[in-house]
Amino acid sequence: MMELLQVLVTMLIFPAGLFLLANAMIYQWIDRKLVARLQDRVGPPWYQPLADTVKLLANEEVLPHGVNKWLFIGLPIIGLAGALTTALYLPIAGLPPAYGFPGDLIVTVYMLSMLTLCLGLAGANTRDRFSMVGATRTLTQLFSYEAPFLLALLGPALAAGSWQLSDIMAYASGNWLLFTQPIGFVVVLIGLMGKLEITPFDAPEAETEIVAGALTQYSGRGLALFRLGQWVELVIGLTMIAAFYLGGIHNPLDYVIKTLFPLLIIAALQTLMTRLRIDQTVGMWWRYGALLALVQWLLIFLMGGGQ
Amino acid sequence: MTQPANRKRFTVPIGPQHPALKEPGHFAFDVDGEIVQSASVRLGYAHRGIEKATESRTWVQNLYLLERICGICSHIHATAYCLGVEKLAQVEVPPRAQAIRSLVAELERIHSHLLWLGVAAHESGFDTLFMYSWRDRETVMNILEVMTGNRVHYSANVLGGVKYDVDDQQAATIREGLDFLEERTLHYLEVVSTDSLFLQRTRNIGVMDREAAQLSGVIGPTGRASNVQRDVRLDSPYAAYADHPITPVYETTGDLLARFVVRLREQLTSIDYIRMLLDHLPNSPLTTRMPRRVKAGEAISRVEAPRGELFYYIKSNGGDMPDRIHVRTPTLCNIASVAQLVIGQHLADVPMILVGIDPCFSCNDRTSVICQDGQRDMWDWARLRQYGIDHYGTHYTKDLG
Repeated sequence: MMELLQVLVTMLIFPAGLFLLANAMIYQWIDRKLVARLQDRVGPPWYQPLADTVKLLANEEVLPHGVNKWLFIGLPIIGLAGALTTALYLPIAGLPPAYGFPGDLIVTVYMLSMLTLCLGLAGANTRDRFSMVGATRTLTQLFSYEAPFLLALLGPALAAGSWQLSDIMAYASGNWLLFTQPIGFVVVLIGLMGKLEITPFDAPEAETEIVAGALTQYSGRGLALFRLGQWVELVIGLTMIAAFYLGGIHNPLDYVIKTLFPLLIIAALQTLMTRLRIDQTVGMWWRYGALLALVQWLLIFLMGGGQ
Repeated sequence: MTQPANRKRFTVPIGPQHPALKEPGHFAFDVDGEIVQSASVRLGYAHRGIEKATESRTWVQNLYLLERICGICSHIHATAYCLGVEKLAQVEVPPRAQAIRSLVAELERIHSHLLWLGVAAHESGFDTLFMYSWRDRETVMNILEVMTGNRVHYSANVLGGVKYDVDDQQAATIREGLDFLEERTLHYLEVVSTDSLFLQRTRNIGVMDREAAQLSGVIGPTGRASNVQRDVRLDSPYAAYADHPITPVYETTGDLLARFVVRLREQLTSIDYIRMLLDHLPNSPLTTRMPRRVKAGEAISRVEAPRGELFYYIKSNGGDMPDRIHVRTPTLCNIASVAQLVIGQHLADVPMILVGIDPCFSCNDRTSVICQDGQRDMWDWARLRQYGIDHYGTHYTKDLG
């Protein structure tokens, strides 16, 4: 009985459930507020993401003509579930991860990609032209950043000699990989921006061309869940960066400081850049991103990090 | 532009309601993947019947109506109208009024170009530049408010002169604002011509060479970016431009970058010109006497609006109301070039190319002659109204049923 209760708490409250959602909303607000201040705007009040979510959940969910109903309703749920599941293997709020097994690094990375896949499928599921173009771009972008992102994330794994997140984090808490693997850090950080579809990688949802991209037909609950999923991904990505590259996460205060640092960099980059065309995004990732990740690998091997 | 007949077209519609367009206009782009194959333009969603409405208002009332054709270049519309009516009435406007007309027109040009810079930056996803340029636009709007009491529709013109004078204190405020604007404009010029990511989105995109520009009749800053050396302020000087010629700005490359650079450099020449005008304001009364009835006859007037040449045709039959007023706004000349410019470009560049001509749709829409079944006749109000009811009636029932 106690065991079941513990599992339920892990799934629904901490670290995967309500806590992560609240965390995601706050981080989303911090990002928006930072960007707004950098752009000399006022920015939203702290409860804005919560208010948006509550309002969207209360709204009617319009089911467009010509969509597969189960896919239309199911995809946002699967996407959000995938993003939430990853939290089980990560030291959210500086506490040790709830679960772990050899190779959970790969599972985590693919769980994060689920959301993007769901987004692409959701766009392709509707007959709307903006959604179709958006879905094509989402999936094209997925194929461009995913390989360099994964290659770069394997850098810490190579150095630690294990594909289990807890082992890598144990290794990383003694070594600031930011200094020994700076190229990998840059690739992962920018890869996260690609994953979250924020400027300059927001071609899949470029509002001035294709309205809201793959999500154009979504309203109400589906839209709320997709948005929540993206915000959760932001937190998960920041946690991974902090745990891998910034000397590990030891306590809640450590967690806050070390995740806000990359968020600040992301907000600054977001402010400084203009949107890239999708062909420029793909070119950039395969020309420079993949190459940089491979150079990082080479350096790890040369320095004898790979065991 | 041709497509295999058996292949189904994938058309991306932009407008009449679309986040990229703040005004209604419809553009249909046939795309193959991300590349635009052909494009078509449809206008007429914001027709307001202003030309017709001028015929039932007095000469003075029309000034305020015509100023409201455009919310951005309102002063230049009123100037064009005043110049035409004054020509008809053979009234000579005092020199100080002429200088103040040019002064407000140049302030308006800065205001319009800053607005455009923000919109164009937003289309490319560069929201920081958008926010910054619109923040700085507040400065020029404040200057206009200090001068005239209004930020948008300044109403500086009256028939036969201007309403507002510039005193020394106002001149000092204007100079102070101009110093700030000059510094910011130089900064933006540096940003758009050196930011490598932004250059990827503007350099060699939507290139229009001089021949193509002349062929499609492109005017204004869009034309000057393609080295079309036309500027009404030089070619046919009006107001203060006859005494103090303006320095024209030309670029040769004809791409989006050139359109950015031309407009930003025009802001700099406008700033210099305003400073020069403030130094050389002639002393004279602000208005001259204007008759209530205007002599019968026809007149045209041309002025350089921020977007290009603005053309007014005015006909009087000697009464206190005009017989006919026709307006041709610069967007009408420029908009056709978009359909050619976008072919072969990426869908992502389309909004920027479209905005690159600085379109203003509601200024642009007009109905002139309706030809049906080869018959051409004049329609009166009652018949036009009935046509509208029938037309939209069938559309609504089609949509509902």
